[in-house]
Amino acid sequence: MLMHMKYELRKSMFSKMVILLVTAVSEIAFLAGVFLKNNTALMWGITGLSMCAVVGIFYIGIESLLTFHKDLNTKQSYMLFMTPQTSYTILGAKVLQNALAIFAAGAFFVLIAVLDVVTATIYMDGLQALIDMVQELMKNISVQINIEPQNIIMAVAVTLVSWLMMIATGYLAIVLSATILAGKKLSGFVSFVLYLIINFGALKILDLVPYMKNQTLQGCLVIALSFIITVILYLISGWIMERKLSV
Amino acid sequence: MLEFKGVTKQYGSKTAVNQVSLKLEPGKIYAMLGPNGSGKTTLMKMSVGLVKPNKGEIYYNNQLIGTKSRKEIAYMSTEPYFYNWMTVKDVGKYYEDFFEDYSAKRYENLIQRMELGMDMKTKTLSSGMMAKLKIAVTMARKSKVYLLDEPLNGIDLLARDEIIKSVLEAIDDDVTLVISSHLVDELERVVDSAVFMKEGNLAAAWDVEDLRMQQGKSIVDLYREIYGHGGDMTC
Repeated sequence: MLMHMKYELRKSMFSKMVILLVTAVSEIAFLAGVFLKNNTALMWGITGLSMCAVVGIFYIGIESLLTFHKDLNTKQSYMLFMTPQTSYTILGAKVLQNALAIFAAGAFFVLIAVLDVVTATIYMDGLQALIDMVQELMKNISVQINIEPQNIIMAVAVTLVSWLMMIATGYLAIVLSATILAGKKLSGFVSFVLYLIINFGALKILDLVPYMKNQTLQGCLVIALSFIITVILYLISGWIMERKLSV
Repeated sequence: MLEFKGVTKQYGSKTAVNQVSLKLEPGKIYAMLGPNGSGKTTLMKMSVGLVKPNKGEIYYNNQLIGTKSRKEIAYMSTEPYFYNWMTVKDVGKYYEDFFEDYSAKRYENLIQRMELGMDMKTKTLSSGMMAKLKIAVTMARKSKVYLLDEPLNGIDLLARDEIIKSVLEAIDDDVTLVISSHLVDELERVVDSAVFMKEGNLAAAWDVEDLRMQQGKSIVDLYREIYGHGGDMTC
């Protein structure tokens, strides 16, 4: 499985390098804003880093679906299915690699945010000065923020696990489409329609989690249920690939 | 031994392979013959699990084919299938990572013999060079069964002999080698048996020597009979 994960990583290396490059440029803008007390550069830096975090993580997930679609609908599929590995291993490597990539990207951007706050604190006469500056910037772009660390961590965790579930949903849609249509031109569109249908069903199941006053408990339940749904989707996809899919 | 029992594969209303039962024995070289769309490729792909049959079973050494059999069956597709970013060296590394029977040294020798370079990008290779690369990496495995689908496609006349020689030198005595090709006359002198596919059906399967002794025919003669105008021979 590790070998498959290695090659999955290699397939998406280019886009990850692009995300890193844009992040690096945004980081330079942010640091320039901090060191030179240049609000414009600071705003560009913060905007760039925020965009990289959101779009970057989103794209990592989307790219894994695009890669999987290509893997199943082109002759490159032989590279996967000629190997003496089960479909569960092949799919598992993809899911795990994507999960790790998403979590790593999330952790990476959180780390950058923390380091940037620390750096800014050191160079801008204390944290209060940075907060004042950020609040001033936020006022300028008419955005109100309410920072509660516990809620942020839970929101990030829920988002990442839900995202992973949606990726697994996408995998199942692509497997179904490839099995039924066997590489025909409409397979991309059919995958998308199937994705919407399966995703609708998965979200309906998640709706079963009742509203709770304890937001943390509710978040934990959503995470657990999302994880269970992800595992079920993975097992169904693996079974179809193993028994029915012709590439 | 690779054994097909009543194997059928349908794509929608089209039957690609129809009720094929066949045994491929170790130590023999087979020619898999037939025009385009006769079911040769589908049969080969089913042997390594790339295509799943609708009916019937395929056994390798009396066990249903699966992950275990893929360790011992090497398949060379007629289409290019390597990732675009790969170099010739990367292709070898990929096989080394996944196949225990792969020999890096053998790959190097074959690449050298095929006059390819390790740094060449696969996406820039001509069809002839790609064919050579596919043969090199497939034959770099010490497998028990080799399934080569149209290995001579795109390769010039002069290089064909060298490639056939490389393939034959690379295999051990207990190996099953199956070569599909349109170039019937070029295969006749190297194969032990011939399997004739026609419109998804097994039209005939003959030991070359038996065919010659019992029917006084060559593979080329039988090929003409089966596929020539009005040919309706089945086994």
